[in-house]
Amino acid sequence: MNIDIYVFVTLLVLGYVFGRLAEKKHFKSIIEREKKYKDLLTFSERLPPPGMNNTDAELVGGSVVISVDYFKRIVAGLRSIVGGRLTTYESLLERARREAILRMKEAAIDKGAIMVINVKLETSSITKGKGQQIGSVEVYAYGTALSPIAV
Amino acid sequence: MKYENRTIPEGINVSEEHPLKEFFILALGLGAITILVVVMLSLAIGKLVHFIPFSVEQSLASSSFATDIADDVVLSKEQQRIEDYLQQLADELSVAQQLPNDMNIIVHYVDGDTVNAFATLGGNIIIYRGLIELLPHENALAMLLSHEIAHIKQRAPIVSLGRGVAVGLVLASLSGFGDSSVSQQLIGNVGLLTSLTFSRDQEEQADIEALQTLEKYYGHTAGAESLFEALSEGESALNPPKLLSTHPQTEDRLERVGRFNGSTIGAVSYKPLPAFLIKEEAFSR
Repeated sequence: MNIDIYVFVTLLVLGYVFGRLAEKKHFKSIIEREKKYKDLLTFSERLPPPGMNNTDAELVGGSVVISVDYFKRIVAGLRSIVGGRLTTYESLLERARREAILRMKEAAIDKGAIMVINVKLETSSITKGKGQQIGSVEVYAYGTALSPIAV
Repeated sequence: MKYENRTIPEGINVSEEHPLKEFFILALGLGAITILVVVMLSLAIGKLVHFIPFSVEQSLASSSFATDIADDVVLSKEQQRIEDYLQQLADELSVAQQLPNDMNIIVHYVDGDTVNAFATLGGNIIIYRGLIELLPHENALAMLLSHEIAHIKQRAPIVSLGRGVAVGLVLASLSGFGDSSVSQQLIGNVGLLTSLTFSRDQEEQADIEALQTLEKYYGHTAGAESLFEALSEGESALNPPKLLSTHPQTEDRLERVGRFNGSTIGAVSYKPLPAFLIKEEAFSR
């Protein structure tokens, strides 16, 4: 019984320290890269804006899988007893969404695109039905990249 | 219409609150609620258990494993003699302790080296040879038996069974709400600590009741301390920390005996153990 407590505390501390470091580092990188790709406009609009007729359209996508750390999982487990915002999971999904859009943008830039329209996000938990496992989440962002027709 | 991507401010989807703060508030809050529920349940069961007739406890005992250990062994003639002697002493002490008429004590002697004795469901008391061998005189043995009889009288075995079942049920359903197995572990440990503290209370009460019984039976309580000295002698491992141990620390128990002995006037004589018990000891060593 006592060994269980030590294992639990060790995992909790490991999860907190590494999870927190990874999250800080990731957010820093996300904010930097969002500034870098600021000029590539992305919209959820289905049709291109007026005046964007002379372009090639191509599907681009970016996906990311992020794992929950032990600490986040415990806090969420405790939170789910009393209810409320699962803040530890909120930041996880925020990271995943923004990272997926960034990867999609990178794919679009590689194709020489100037705009991505009809952007959609898909989220799925990839450890569904395995209650005892640490969960991870996949976010997939995809859209239609518009690039000027090379003449 | 102008098409543009404005920079979205940070902190809309992500809470700025420190995650450790949330963790401690949740863990301490839920821990406190769990302890409160467990304590209240334990208290309620301690009260309600007296409505269970002793005969029901006896029928429960027939299916419990502890008495099986003792009953499966066929005693030799010599061992039967010891068991009869222990039974007779227990019966006399039960009278001195004013055990209710519907309760009766059944002593089981186990020919094992384990330094232990315990009371279990249905008035069954199990005593190991290992412990008897360490006792210097009958007064110490009587202290041991009175202590176990006091447990039967306070219905300690059925109380702890009832608590175990009820507390286990509550914790199981509580941890079922959370989706992690580890919060279950956390909650389980809280439950264990609480239930141990309670049974230590029962131990202290049993010590006091046993000392009163000795006072009535021998006219004094001298010699009772020999039991605790023997027990701590038999304890090979180091003392567990106070919060985690079921029995009170030996020093605490000796101090309690000392308080009782204070009333004893003049020198007292100890009643020796019967010869066949000492002979048995010589054989086995």
